[in-house]
Amino acid sequence: MKLASKRTLAKVTAVAMAAGMLAACGGTGSSGSTAGEGATNEGASGEAAASGDAVVVEVWSNNRHDETYMTQMIEEFNASHTDIQIEYTIMTDDWANSIQMAFQANTAPDVITIAASDGMTLSDYVNGGMFESLSSYIAEDEEFQTVTEAYDHMYEGLNSIGDDIYWVANGVRSGTRIEYNPDLLSAAGYDSVPTTLSELVEAGKAVTEAGGGSTYGFGFTSSGPFGRWLEGVGTMSGCTYRGYDYTTGTYDFSSWKPLIEQAQQIFKDQSQLPGSETQGVDNSRALFAQGAFAIWGNASQEAGVFTDQFPCSFEWGVAELPTLNGEVTGALECTPNFGFTMLTNSDCKDQAWEVIKYFSSEDFMKGYLEGGYTLPLSSYMSGKIDPSKTGRLADFALKDYEDVYPTPPAVTVDGDDYGITIWNAILGNATADECIEDLNTRYNDALERALQNGSTQRVIIEDYDPAHPSAGTITYSAE
Amino acid sequence: MKDSVPAKSTGHIKTRDGLTIGLMMFPAVLMLLVCSVYPFLWVFRYICYDYNGMTAYFTGARNFVRLFEDTAFWASVGHTFEYAALKLVFILPLALVMAVLMQQKIMGSGIFRVIYFMPTIISSAIAALVFSFIFAAYNGVLNAVLRATGIIKQNINWLGDPSFAMWAVLILAIWGGFGNYMIYFMSGLSSVPGDVYESAMIDGSSGLHTFIHITLPMLSPMLKTILMLAITTAFKDYESIMVLTTGGPNNRTMVMFLYIYRLLFGSNQNNPSIGYACVLSIVAAVIVGIVTGIYLLLARKLDDVM
Repeated sequence: MKLASKRTLAKVTAVAMAAGMLAACGGTGSSGSTAGEGATNEGASGEAAASGDAVVVEVWSNNRHDETYMTQMIEEFNASHTDIQIEYTIMTDDWANSIQMAFQANTAPDVITIAASDGMTLSDYVNGGMFESLSSYIAEDEEFQTVTEAYDHMYEGLNSIGDDIYWVANGVRSGTRIEYNPDLLSAAGYDSVPTTLSELVEAGKAVTEAGGGSTYGFGFTSSGPFGRWLEGVGTMSGCTYRGYDYTTGTYDFSSWKPLIEQAQQIFKDQSQLPGSETQGVDNSRALFAQGAFAIWGNASQEAGVFTDQFPCSFEWGVAELPTLNGEVTGALECTPNFGFTMLTNSDCKDQAWEVIKYFSSEDFMKGYLEGGYTLPLSSYMSGKIDPSKTGRLADFALKDYEDVYPTPPAVTVDGDDYGITIWNAILGNATADECIEDLNTRYNDALERALQNGSTQRVIIEDYDPAHPSAGTITYSAE
Repeated sequence: MKDSVPAKSTGHIKTRDGLTIGLMMFPAVLMLLVCSVYPFLWVFRYICYDYNGMTAYFTGARNFVRLFEDTAFWASVGHTFEYAALKLVFILPLALVMAVLMQQKIMGSGIFRVIYFMPTIISSAIAALVFSFIFAAYNGVLNAVLRATGIIKQNINWLGDPSFAMWAVLILAIWGGFGNYMIYFMSGLSSVPGDVYESAMIDGSSGLHTFIHITLPMLSPMLKTILMLAITTAFKDYESIMVLTTGGPNNRTMVMFLYIYRLLFGSNQNNPSIGYACVLSIVAAVIVGIVTGIYLLLARKLDDVM
C-alpha cells in the first residue's frame, strides 16, 4: 500500500512536470506582451479592448527622448476615441533585431517608428515582406499630403521604392555641427571655429598647449567616432558618400585620402582628450560639459543633451563643419526621422493608418516640433511653428547644403566597416593609402558577392551632383 | 505456474516504472531538444546562404571560400588563443594560492571568501562598464593610483593603446573569474584528509614541500576538471570584451566569438551576415573542441606517467 502510494505520487509528479513543460512551451505569445523596457501592453493586436469594441493598435518606438510628449498625446487620443486605442511601447535596445524577431514570432506590433539613422535597409524589409506600402492610404488623404509633403520627400531606397512609399518622415535630424567651448578657444587665441579642417586641427593643438595638461582640443568617443563629424567634413568637401561612387556604381574611397591624413594630425599632435576615443558617448559628452575639451561634433540631438542631460558649465556654441579647403562642394547628410511604418502582419491596417495619421497631423507635430524633439522637414510645418520655442535646436536649423543621400547598395563586408576602418587609420594604425586600398577591395568584393546572389542591385545616378545628391535620377542594375 | 505469476507481475511493474521514468525524463529531453539540439541543427541550415534575418539567398560554397580569405577572422582566432593562454596562466595559480590561503583558519577568511567570490555573481557587462571607468585614461582610478604611488609618470591609455588593451581585458577577466575557480579548488582541498598533512608535519615537511608533494597530487582529479572548464570558458569569453573595448583598438582584442557576434547582428553600416556567422560558429566550435580534446589526451597521458 505504501509502495503503491509512492508510485502514484511519482506518476502524478511526472505527469504534472510534463504537463507544466508542455504548457510552458506550447503557450502562444500574445502580441500584447511586455516588450523591452517600456510600458506594459495588455491587449493583443486587433483584439477588442477591455473598454468595449475598440481596436487596439500596438505602436513600438525606439525614441525615449520624447516619451513625455508621446505619452501625453496618446492619452489624449485614447480619451477622445472609442473605436481605436493606442498601446505604446518604448524599446531602445537592439531595435532592428527586436523588430525582426518579433515579426518572425508573429508578435510584432502594428506600427513602428522609423528613422534614416536606424540603419534598417528598406529593400531588405520590403523583400522580406515586413513593411506595408502606405501609398494607397496617402493618395486618398490630402491633409496628410499637405502637412507632410509626402511626395516631395520620397527618398528612393530610404523611405520609398519606385512609387511605393513605406514611411513618411515627420522631422529631420540635422547634419553634424561643431559644438564648442568658446572660453577654451578664446584662451588659445581663437574667436571663432576655423572653416578648414587643417586650421581646426591647429586650433585644437593650440587649445591643448594652452591647457597645460588639464584641458584639450578635441574629444571623441568609441561609439561611431568617425560618423560624428569627420565624415560630414568629407562629404561637404565632395568625398564619396559612404565610399560609393554613384556615377560608376562601384565603391571608391580614394577621395577620402586628404581627410584621413589631416585628421591623423590630431593624434600626432596629441590634441585629443587622452583616452576619449575609448569612452562611451555619454562619458565624452559629460566631459565636454565639464569643460575638459573644446571641440565636440555631433548632430541636432546635442541641443537637448547639453541643455537637459548634461548642462554645460559654460555658454556652448554651435558652428558649421569645416571643409578641406574652406569651400562647400558636396552635401552634408541630414537624416529624415520620426516616421512611422506599418507592418504587414497587422490585422487592423485601417486603424493603424489612422494612428499614423494622428502622429503626422498638424496639431500633433506642432507640439512635437516646438517641444524641440526634432527639426521640421516639411516647409508646411516649418511655417506653422514658432522657432523661438524650440530652444537650442534653432542653432541646428538646416543649411542649404544639407540633403538626403540615396541609399547605396546594401552589402556585407568582411571585417570592419568603412567607419571603423577609416577611424583606425586616423588613429595611426594604417596609412591613408593602405586604408583606401583595403576598403576598395573589401567593399567591391562584397558588392560583387551581393550582386551575384541577387541580394542587392547596383545603384547608378548618371547625373549625380555631390552638392545635390537627392536630385539625380536613380537607375538600378543587377549586373 | 508458480514462477509465471511473479514474472507477469514484474513485467507489469517494469511497464509502469518505464512510464513513470519516461514521463519524468520527458521535460528534460524536450528542453534538450528545443534548447540545444534544434539550435545546433539551425546553425547548419544557413551555412550555404547569405541570410540577413529576413531573406536567405543561396550562395553555395561561397561562405566556405570566404572563411579561408577572411584574415580578420583568423586574426581573431589568434587573439583568442593569446587571451585564453594568458588568462589561464594567471587565473589558475592565483585561484589555487588564494584557495590554499582561504583554507587556513585565520580571522576574517570568511569575509575574504565572499569578497573574492562576489565578482562571479556580478553581470560581466556591468563589471566591464565599471572597469571602463577604472581604466579611463583621463580620469580613471587606476592611472590615478599608479601615478600617486610613483609607478607611472604619464597616464596609460589602457583601452586605446594596442600594447595595453589586451592586458586591460585580462585584468577584468582574472578579477571576474578567479573567485569561482578558488571555490572549486577549495572544495577539492577539503577532500584531502587532514591526517596526511599531520603525517607530513610530523615528518618535518616544509609548507612548500607539502604543497608540491601532497596538496597538488591529491588535487589532481579536481584540477583536471577545473582546467577543462577554464579552457572552454576562456575560449568562449566575449561579453565583457564587447563592453570594455568592442574588440579594439584596431581589433587588438577582437576574439572569435565577438567577431561572430558582430556578423550575426550587423551594424548600421554593415548588414547581418547570418549564414557566414553560422559557418564561423561551427569552425569556432571545432577549434574549442580540438583544444579540449588535446587537453584531455594530455591529461590522460599525464595520469599514466604519474
